[in-house]
Formats: sequence, structure tokens, C-alpha cells
Amino acid sequence: MILVIDALNRHRFGSIIDDMYQLRARVFRDRLGWDVTVQNGRESDLFDDLDPAYLIALDDDYNVIGCNRMLQTTGPHMLADVFQDILCGEPPLRSATVWENTRFCVDTERLKRPEVSQTVSTATCELMVGILEYGRDSGISDVISVIDPLMNRVLKRSNNAPYDYIGKTVQMGKTRAMAALNDCTD
Amino acid sequence: MNKRMDLIDLAETPEGQRDYVAHLRQLCDGAGVEHATYAAANPVTGTLHAFTTYPDRWKNHYMERGLHNLDPTLNAAARSVAPVDWSRLERTESFQSVFSEAHDFGMPDTGLTVPVRGPLGETGLLCICTSISVPEWRKLKRHIMGDLLTNAVHLHDTVMNSEPLMKALRKPRLSLREIEILQWVAAGKSQQDVGDILSISSRTVEVHLRSVREKLCTISTPQAVGRAVSLGIVHPG
Repeated sequence: MILVIDALNRHRFGSIIDDMYQLRARVFRDRLGWDVTVQNGRESDLFDDLDPAYLIALDDDYNVIGCNRMLQTTGPHMLADVFQDILCGEPPLRSATVWENTRFCVDTERLKRPEVSQTVSTATCELMVGILEYGRDSGISDVISVIDPLMNRVLKRSNNAPYDYIGKTVQMGKTRAMAALNDCTD
Repeated sequence: MNKRMDLIDLAETPEGQRDYVAHLRQLCDGAGVEHATYAAANPVTGTLHAFTTYPDRWKNHYMERGLHNLDPTLNAAARSVAPVDWSRLERTESFQSVFSEAHDFGMPDTGLTVPVRGPLGETGLLCICTSISVPEWRKLKRHIMGDLLTNAVHLHDTVMNSEPLMKALRKPRLSLREIEILQWVAAGKSQQDVGDILSISSRTVEVHLRSVREKLCTISTPQAVGRAVSLGIVHPG
């Protein structure tokens, strides 16, 4: 199940948001080794204070198994302010109909457990399709995602291959990061 | 029904003579809705910009009662990333009190708010509303949403750039890729040609041109070329 949480309804999902921040700490600090700020086992940054929209994937027992964060590219967003390396210092795309998808991840540990019915691939795929559908229904035509090579391979294998990449693939922590474009029109 | 809205150009009219209300009326006609409102506060000067096609009696009543402080189609919707259909807000107490009064004035309560986030962290809002039935509204919404977003950003950028200080702060910054693509377009190459020349997909060319048009506050690609030439960003074809 995919849940869309934004500033209008997040007061109803406090514990899910908290689980998401914990998942992000496990993924982005522990597994990928990114330079992120973790407090009390929870990763969050200033973009979480800008009322982003989150898509959160839950398993049958309502555990958070994946998440992302969406921002408009017309206003402050990560590619404009934080991921300059990927864009080689170039200004980012700015469009009413392009959204940015960051902190895109799934809980690989939980998904490997035998009792969990979904796999890393299906969870990634479901979340990506959720992102593209949410964008499409909001009048968006393209989504630019900051992802790592593993995520990129999963997307390619699952028929959600990005149609192009912006800037270059750069080393980030223990892995590399890139900015991928996906079409979200019908 | 396969309706598409036009993007309405604001740059054609010189600053100072711009009639934003007439612009909103044109936007309503294009979208097939009854009323439109735009509102934003300038993040630097604090000036409030608001224009609406609502009739004066409702506008005056709304202002007198200070309903803008209460109205969730402005306050709650401003914090959303996606456009907010008002049906998402209708169960809130504030919606009920604003729209029970709107109803007395014959104002529709089916609509949506497009929040636009600007580079300085400011938010502009474009609201539209209509009295068509809910199924018709759903259909209409699907067809106009993308164009509505583009119109909202164009309107917001134009309003924000109307003050010299803001214009200086919001100076367009094009990437090398965007300039390269625009230079080939200025040389008369089609989108497909440019893609072939640069070994990128036609859609990548398209997404960059869309970004260029919006950064330069223009509605068409030829117009963007013109503006880029006048700014010295690209050479004339």
C-alpha cells in the first residue's frame, strides 16, 4: 500500500513519518554512507521543513518498507541547493510540470525476511509507479530522481527505466548518485 | 472531451498596463471554469498581490469579514506540493464557514488551488472554481491540470518580476545544456534534430526547452529564443 502524506494530513500519520525518518537513517547513513544528519536514529534535513509530499510504501502489517520525498522544481529543492556535484555546478531544470524525487529508498533488510511477501524489486517498482501516478494526477509530466546505481538497475529491470540522466554520476559516500528523468504522462 | 487550455502570454502587455483580472478571465474561458483568483505575498517587500474575477459584492464581503485569514483554499493549500482539490478540505470547519457564506452569494464550492513555490521560498496561489457537476469536474480537471500548472507559474513569475528588486533577485540561470539546446533551436533545428545532434532523446530536449521557456518567463520556444538573444545568452541563428 502506498500512502501520500503532505502538510495537509501529516498530523494524522506521526508514527509513520517517524518510521520513515528511521528507515532513512538506516539507508542513507548506514548503508549508503551519505553525509546526512541523524539524530536519535532519525534522518531529516531542512527540506523536510519545507512541507514536502512523501510517498510511503507499507507492508501488510503497516510497516514502512519504502519512501520518497517530492518537491516542486520551481522553488527550493535539493538539486538546486545540495546536489550541485551531480549537476557539475550547473543550475537545475526549473519547470511547473517537473517534480524532484529524493530520499527514494526501500527497506532492503526487512524485504529480505522470509515472512515479507514483497521483494526489493516489487517494493521499488510499486513506489516508483506510485510516484509517477501521483505526479501524473497532479498535472506533472516528468520526475527527476536522485538515485544510486542499484536503484537504477532495479528500475531498468522493472520497466521503469529512466529515459535520460542529467549531469553526471558522482561518488557519494559508499556509493554513487545520479539524477534520472522519468516520464509520468500516460 | 479533449480540451486543452492555452497558455496566456503576459509579456505581450507592457508592465504597468497589465490587467491581471482580464488575464484571469481569459484563463477561466480557456479552462472552462467560472472564477479564478491569484494571491501571493512578495517575500522581500511583503506586498500582497491578489486579483480575482469574483463579483465585487462577494469580494467586498470576503474582505470585510476577513475570510482570507480563515479560508483553507488559501492557507492549507499553500502548504501542499500538489494542486489541492477543494473536496480535500470540505470537512474542515473553516471550509464550512467560508463556503456557507460563499453559497449565500451564489459562489461555487467546487474547485482547486494550485500552489506555486518560488525560488525565494515564497508561495503563489492560483484558485479556480466552477459549478459543474462532480463527475464533469473530475473529467475537466484531468484535461486542464498540466496547463493550469504552467499558467500558474507563468502568472506568478510575471507578478513577482514586476518589482525591480525581485526581478534582479530572480535573474534566470540557464544551464550549459539548456543554452546548447536553445542555440541549436535558434539555428533552425527541430527538436528531433537537436536530439540527434546531441545524442540525447527528443524528450530530454523537450524537458530542457520547457525549463528554458519557464526560466525566461516566455510561453513559446521562438519567444524564448528571442529573449535569450536579447539577453546575450545565445547568438542569433
